[in-house]
Amino acid sequence: MSGKALRLEGLTKRYGAVTAVDQLNLNIPPGIIFGLLGPNGAGKTTTLEMTEGLRRPDEGRVWLGEVDLIRHPAEAKRRFGVQLQTSAFFELLTVKETLELFQSLYSHPLRVGDLVGRMDLEEKRNARVDGLSGGQRQRLALAVALVNDPEVVFLDEPSAGLDPQARRNLWEVIVGLKAEGRTVVLTTHYMDEAEMLADRLAIMDHGRVLDEGAPRELIERHLPAAVIEVDRSTGIGTDTNLPALVRIEEREEVMALVTQHLEDTLTGLVAWASQHGRQLTGLKTRSATLEDVFLELTGRSLRE
Amino acid sequence: MKPVITLLRSLLRQTVRNRQGLFWTLFFPVVLMVVFSLLGNTKSQVSLAVVTSRSTSAGVVRIMEKSPLFHVRTMGRRAALAAVRSGRMDAALLVPAAPRARTTTLALRYNPANSLSAQQAVGAVQALVAQADLMLSGRPPLFRVRATPLVHARASTYLDFLLPGVLALMTMQNSLFGIGSGLTRWKEKGILRRFRVTPLQPLQFLGAAIMNYLLVGLASSAIIIGFATGLLHASVDIPLGPVTLVLLLGMGCFLAFGFIVAGVSRSQEATIPIINLISFPMMFLSGVFFPISSLPKILTHIVDYFPLTYVSGALRGLMSGQLTWHDAAFRGDLLGMAVWLVLGGAVAARVWRWE
Ligand SMILES: Nc1ncnc2c1ncn2[C@@H]1O[C@H](COP(=O)(O)OP(=O)(O)OP(=O)(O)O)[C@@H](O)[C@H]1O
Ligand SMILES: [Mg+2]
Repeated sequence: MSGKALRLEGLTKRYGAVTAVDQLNLNIPPGIIFGLLGPNGAGKTTTLEMTEGLRRPDEGRVWLGEVDLIRHPAEAKRRFGVQLQTSAFFELLTVKETLELFQSLYSHPLRVGDLVGRMDLEEKRNARVDGLSGGQRQRLALAVALVNDPEVVFLDEPSAGLDPQARRNLWEVIVGLKAEGRTVVLTTHYMDEAEMLADRLAIMDHGRVLDEGAPRELIERHLPAAVIEVDRSTGIGTDTNLPALVRIEEREEVMALVTQHLEDTLTGLVAWASQHGRQLTGLKTRSATLEDVFLELTGRSLRE
Repeated sequence: MKPVITLLRSLLRQTVRNRQGLFWTLFFPVVLMVVFSLLGNTKSQVSLAVVTSRSTSAGVVRIMEKSPLFHVRTMGRRAALAAVRSGRMDAALLVPAAPRARTTTLALRYNPANSLSAQQAVGAVQALVAQADLMLSGRPPLFRVRATPLVHARASTYLDFLLPGVLALMTMQNSLFGIGSGLTRWKEKGILRRFRVTPLQPLQFLGAAIMNYLLVGLASSAIIIGFATGLLHASVDIPLGPVTLVLLLGMGCFLAFGFIVAGVSRSQEATIPIINLISFPMMFLSGVFFPISSLPKILTHIVDYFPLTYVSGALRGLMSGQLTWHDAAFRGDLLGMAVWLVLGGAVAARVWRWE
């Protein structure tokens, strides 16, 4: 693979009063897996589709190495492999016929056997698209994205609708793409996926990048220490004052105490419980995860 | 070229696999033709009610009765007029009592509501009376006409009339609904959008889609013609070149309209009423089921310019042997279709959207 960096410069897209993507800058080095993380409506799909050449940005540029892709969209079409967030294929064609159709559009396509094998679709090779399950369709979409042996692969929520086993298989495929020297740009709603796969991550909301970096880096930057969780029944309020505490959050079942210094806060918590005669049921400590960073940055949960 | 051919192949494959679509493409025309060929379609005689009085010279009546053109029934005056009014008889011929003046006036009453048989009746009676006049007067005729048919003679049935109309109707319906149900659905589901991140050019896609519709249209026309002539014994001319040209031009017009409809409507549901709005008036006015000449005069001034009128007129002319390449009327029809195609195509190119 060529090893050209992908650079988005000041990309902007407006829909009436809504600014879907707002002066977005990203620098994506070659050969890595780059993750875009953000709540619904953050502008992830719009960003990807402007980069792919599917939507015209109102402002900004996209560079692949020295090539301006907005001026030369044919280059993007040749070098990019794209899986759209909602992709559909002709229902009355088989998997094999669909792949052959897309092969005919490129000069050096990958072989059908190779694609079908990678995506674990051998059994469904001669099945019609209208008879595929949601997950199988998703895998077909990924196979089609690889048809032209692309340098950069864009995957917009590739694991949406997959069962846990299929997700795990998909991760292997994606890691395999990186091993072949391709750049992968993906969006996801799953923190574990982002943390597992992405070499670099951009967290975005309201069309802007809030922060960017390796997952560990992001966690350390925003949440240096740890999280203590206790059941809600403990009765601890968000305004409780404890040593070294950053803040207290109400999560679905638990209260999460984000702290800069685990021991100090924990000692304080135990003292608070005995003082108020409370049981610390469900007490747990863990190091901060990407999800905590996400909440810290966007103030909202990823799956609302 | 390779992408276009692969794409065309996969579109054709889908058409063949879409059993339901195929069924409806052929079902309606077939049923129409079967029904009309079963409903007595051997009407080539003019039914004539003859009203005589006691002293009528029997000569005229006898000549009428002998002519193969007429189905003659002698009736009373009132019964005869009632029969014409109700359409049971094409015309009533009132033969007066014994001639007083040198010229006897035979009154012919016909019902103009049914213009086809009315014209036929008036013409036939006039011709025959002129002939009878000569024979009865005993003078040798000054002129004699020896009629030699240019095209092979045949008794034209309603099925023969209907077949070109049905073909015209099919070019319209298949093109409009083909795009309305295929292309619009693909657009709506984002199938077409996916091709925009590939090197496939929009024109290549459109080319393949149009070729697909044209090939399917020609094939289904061939099936319908084969069915009508082979099984229902329709007797029509099929000048292959001109008929194919008319079918292609006709489909071209309606494909352009289909692209316009698909371009302006957001969803597949929205296309159906628009398509019906376009196709219904033409289906009933453009000479598919009955000749345009039976419409009110004012209406024909508009209907004459409908695209389907050109298609049905040209096809009927060709298939009844009345039109050839060289007729101005045929060229006029071709020109009409070409104008619609160019206009439709220009608008379609402006309003067509991929998503
Ligand atoms: N074609 C469009 N017309 C109008 N508004 C649009 C259009 N596409 C996107 N938007 C708006 O732009 C914003 C960003 O949408 P986008 O699809 O990029 O978000 P996303 O991050 O991909 O969300 P999700 O996680 O739900 O896929 C949203 O507010 C959306 O409503
Ligand atoms: Mg999205």
